[in-house]
Amino acid sequence: MVLTGRAGLLAAVGVVFVAVVTPRWAGVGIVVAVVLMVCLVDMLLAGSPRRLQLSRVGDNAVRLGEPAVVQLLVANPGRRVKGLLRDAWPPSAGVQDPPHKLDLPHGERRRLTTHLLPTRRGDRQADRVTIRSIGPLGFAGRQGSHRVPWTVRALPPFKSRKHLPSRLARLRELDGRTALLVRGQGTEFDSLRDYVPGDDVRSIDWRATARRGNVVLRTWRPERDRQVAIVIDSGRMSAGRVGDAPRLDHAMDAALLLAALATRAGDRVSLLACDSAVRADVRRPAPEDVLPSFVNALANVEAELVQTDFRVVVSQVLERLGQRSLVVLLTGLDPAVIEESLLPVIGPLLRRHVIVLASVADPRLTELESTRSDLIEVYGAASAARTRLDRERVTAILTRAGVTVVDENPDQIAPALADTYLALKRAGRL
Amino acid sequence: MSTAVGRGAGESWRTLRTPLFVTGLIVLGAIVIMIATAARTSGPFSPDSSEPTGARALATLLENHNVTVRGTEDLNDALAPGAGKTLLIGPMGQLDRSDWERIADAGWSHIVLVRPGARALEALAPGVRDNGQALSNGSRAPDCDLPAAVKAGTATVSGSTYSAPPDAQACYGDGITNTVIRLETGGRIIDVVGSQRSFTNAQLADDGNAALALNLIGTHQDLTWYLPQWESSGYDGPDEDAPPLIPPSVRYIGWALAFAVLVVALWRGRRLGPVVAERLPVIVHAAETTEGRARLYRRSRARERAAAALRESALGKLHKAHGIPRRAEPSAVVATVAARTGRDPAMLYELLYGLPPLSDAALMSLSHELDVLTQEVRHP
Repeated sequence: MVLTGRAGLLAAVGVVFVAVVTPRWAGVGIVVAVVLMVCLVDMLLAGSPRRLQLSRVGDNAVRLGEPAVVQLLVANPGRRVKGLLRDAWPPSAGVQDPPHKLDLPHGERRRLTTHLLPTRRGDRQADRVTIRSIGPLGFAGRQGSHRVPWTVRALPPFKSRKHLPSRLARLRELDGRTALLVRGQGTEFDSLRDYVPGDDVRSIDWRATARRGNVVLRTWRPERDRQVAIVIDSGRMSAGRVGDAPRLDHAMDAALLLAALATRAGDRVSLLACDSAVRADVRRPAPEDVLPSFVNALANVEAELVQTDFRVVVSQVLERLGQRSLVVLLTGLDPAVIEESLLPVIGPLLRRHVIVLASVADPRLTELESTRSDLIEVYGAASAARTRLDRERVTAILTRAGVTVVDENPDQIAPALADTYLALKRAGRL
Repeated sequence: MSTAVGRGAGESWRTLRTPLFVTGLIVLGAIVIMIATAARTSGPFSPDSSEPTGARALATLLENHNVTVRGTEDLNDALAPGAGKTLLIGPMGQLDRSDWERIADAGWSHIVLVRPGARALEALAPGVRDNGQALSNGSRAPDCDLPAAVKAGTATVSGSTYSAPPDAQACYGDGITNTVIRLETGGRIIDVVGSQRSFTNAQLADDGNAALALNLIGTHQDLTWYLPQWESSGYDGPDEDAPPLIPPSVRYIGWALAFAVLVVALWRGRRLGPVVAERLPVIVHAAETTEGRARLYRRSRARERAAAALRESALGKLHKAHGIPRRAEPSAVVATVAARTGRDPAMLYELLYGLPPLSDAALMSLSHELDVLTQEVRHP
């Protein structure tokens, strides 16, 4: 049962009728009876919303920040349905359209388009579709809902992909594939090729030259087929918001850039998101499948308000890595957590693998420390200085233990981590 | 493919029946309790009320002395012919002046007025005036010739006091103001009792209160106990025939308007489907802990800690800028910085390694000087 503005208007006219014509109980009774009668008849004449048949087609996944389109097919086997249709989604799915106007005669179908602009990462499930069918007189109608399941997955945005071309160029330099007349960096033998004037004479392979009769050059390349394990801490340290997104989202961005780069460099990348339990786990996907599988796995990972159990992290990483590998741990630099939870258990990892710890720094701290115009701000600056000193202290401890620490602002963390990877590769430490 | 959702009539009933049942039970219970308690607590000075302010004890006492007590709240009972009977009028309520005059004309042999107002005194006890003075609770001697009072002796009296005309017998007073006054006019006896609480359940047993009440009230076999209500019989209305201020049709227009408002409310109030809820992630600013610590510093005036943090931070920057080893002695640091910046080494030592500041102003200036020093290092 739904009423419209016309019913209200009719009741208002009824007030005038009672005032002018019959200021008696009978008049009030007539008005009530007429309004109820008209509304009841109109409601019975309205087409049934429950008999409509609905189905959906459209996008299943969308990168966060980009629009998705989901279409709703409505078929009407019954009487004409005229009114409104609301395709309800959770608020963070970002429905762009107001309720659709619907005018569906018997036996016809309509295609209604809902535009979504998700505001958060993760799966967004369609709620119910509510149809309000107004009767032919326009005074009252019926309302009913349908469940038409559909899920749109908002994937991590991977904003740092703009840094990928420049890092790939540097990777090619490392590889020796660019047209540079210097010896390719790296330690692994690649191939033999003919000498071209200008090549570094130190790379000439004299034995092959003697065999072939012309001057042959030995080329080198960085190690390939190494394993890179990216571990994202999804515990409470990643929940803190830095800038306009949680640390976790910045960490994912950095992880995706590193994964893309490492895949191009010929390494095999695996992913683990972990707090007190494993939240996402991708083990050595095929090179062309790395980014899709990573973004899918990370789409629904949210920061949990629990302390990350680094024993779980260490045992999981040890279990899946055989040879010497690069382990990238994306977490926070909280001195208490690092000293009490991470350092006591990281020993086995350090002995077998190269470890990089990347943490998103908060630009707000720098801002706090540099503004000192009144007493309140001086205390703020002192507190920020203490936080920074603590971070530096724990960074020093980690560095001494053999961990490479990357501590950068949110917009710099992804390229900085990529550069660290390239530097390690160049140094042949993988 | 879709599935319709919603509730059928049976499901609606199953959902609603428990709340309906509970509501019904509560309403029923309330009605039962109201009925059960109404008899015993029909207001102060009621012959049925067993509350401390009621007068059930007095009514029972009178009945034990063969006085028939008839409690009423109906004005017509007080207007009935009352020859040879007693009428007791309770302290509450308000009647029109004409009603009091009709009571006076009803011919009661004996009227007891408990704490009467000005209108009642004017109609029933001419000459008696309310002094407007309230008496605090206390025992008083009768101090008069009234046999009922003399036999009763001292009584606990409180409340209103009255001044009596010369021909009346005034008791429990100080010569000017009195609590009990007996007036005999035109063959009937009028008693004015100012002290209402003396006859209530709470105080009837004190002093000679009970005896006084029996002697005063129990003069006739038939007692009508009338408690006036806040009512008007309309006899005082000077212009009954004038048209009412509000036309009667407004009432019907009001009902029609209420119905229209209901219809509009239903129109506007119906949502197009339920609100969609979702689980939101926790959002905490990462700098929250640092800002919280700053507030703690400020609240506990931790100048020492704040100064230490600022100095350590400045030293870190100086170490980096001048290439001083991290574990250098303070004197070495001061010497290097003094040589680079041209500052006085003693002042520098005080600035970098001195005592913690003793006041907020000192902390401010320390912060400022450290800031200047590190800026200088950056832009010499």
